[in-house]
Amino acid sequence: MMEILLSGLLLTAQIFVTTLIGALPLGVVVALCRMSKFKPLALLTRFYISVMRGTPLMLQLMALMFGPYYLFGLQMGQDWKYFACAIGFIVNYAAYFAEIYRSGIQSIPPGQYEAAAVLGYSRAQTFMKIVLPQVIKRILPAMGNEVITLVKDTSLAFVLGIMEMFSQAKALAASQVSMVPYLIAGAIYWVFNLVVEMVLTRIEKKLNYYHD
Amino acid sequence: MMDKPLVSLEHARKSFGDVAVLKDISLSVRQGEVVAIIGPSGGGKSTLLRCLTLLETLDGGTLSYGDVCVARDDGAGAVYAGKAVQKEAKARFGLVFQNFNLFPHYSVIKNVTDAPIHVQKRDKEEVLAHARSLLAKMGLSGKEDMVPCELSGGQQQRVAIARALCLNPDVLYFDEPTSALDPELTQEVLKVIRDLAAEHMTMVIVTHEMSFARDVADRIVFMDGGMVVEQGVAADVIANPQHERTRAFLTRYEAN
Repeated sequence: MMEILLSGLLLTAQIFVTTLIGALPLGVVVALCRMSKFKPLALLTRFYISVMRGTPLMLQLMALMFGPYYLFGLQMGQDWKYFACAIGFIVNYAAYFAEIYRSGIQSIPPGQYEAAAVLGYSRAQTFMKIVLPQVIKRILPAMGNEVITLVKDTSLAFVLGIMEMFSQAKALAASQVSMVPYLIAGAIYWVFNLVVEMVLTRIEKKLNYYHD
Repeated sequence: MMDKPLVSLEHARKSFGDVAVLKDISLSVRQGEVVAIIGPSGGGKSTLLRCLTLLETLDGGTLSYGDVCVARDDGAGAVYAGKAVQKEAKARFGLVFQNFNLFPHYSVIKNVTDAPIHVQKRDKEEVLAHARSLLAKMGLSGKEDMVPCELSGGQQQRVAIARALCLNPDVLYFDEPTSALDPELTQEVLKVIRDLAAEHMTMVIVTHEMSFARDVADRIVFMDGGMVVEQGVAADVIANPQHERTRAFLTRYEAN
């Protein structure tokens, strides 16, 4: 039983890591689009964030999974569920991350931009070297919340027939008529998040070399 | 070169909405000159400095740094030159802010060296040596690896001055450099500015420190209501103001 659950954990971890790798940078881009002075882009981004946050992730995953067939009659093949899962999670989490980035970016005092401008930094340099590093420190606690939620949200992949840990636990519980698989899976999620908390605490400590 | 001003601003106009903040201001600064700008709050001093440092754009008027023309007036308003020209102009001045605006996540030495290395693309070793000698001059030797939050306000402001100087500007602007400091820390920052004046660094200083302005500046410009009301040799303006508004302002100051 443990073996099966751990094989599920591997997929769970893959969904988790893929989502972070995709959504953390994409969130920055979305946040910048949301704050763009070009109104149509800002409005479109606002709409996207609103839909992502306003509808269930489970529904979004299903729409991605079956949309290509229902809308265009496309047969997407056996592996599509993994792509649908990755896209769904990344695009959904990028929306949440974007709002956190935005709060961080808007909290940076205008004086930082002015100092950078007078010193001759380009806009890209100002953002990458001056603003973003400070934003990361400021938003870390809020980000931690989302990341911990993500660990648990990976279980939603079960609706796509991806055999991550929750799906495995569900199958095991049904075949063995037992609560134990759920208890063990729950314990593993919790330990997973203990590790996440540890990593977050370590990053926070590392960034504590200054305060502003 | 000697007779061409380093900074030349003519007929500058700037409004925020309906409020005219600068009304036809002209100011030129020559090599080695120290100019103090004084006047009541809301008189347009800071806006003037922000326009000179391209943090704000003029509505009308011309602005040049030596032979680099940043903005010219086509009759309808100020027309700014392209990015490349603005960048060239930016290399000619530095600005020291009232509240320092150091980068809190950078060490002292990185605050000073980052722009010379990554904006001016100068040699890293040369910049480091330059920065160390500037910090030593500011009495900040041994603080290179500290971060701004570990320093006093006076020390932070001196780092900010070193940061501006490390880019080798022709002219250094100060926007009320001591207004965020207590009297003791004010003195240590003023001393650094005095030393720079003794070395004939060209400086334009917006300040409320009247005795400092009188002692250090060659010329004092008194601004009120978005206009230059009076300007002249520093000691004369303080001791013998010609205009009623200047007199009233200075009297108020002495009373305080």
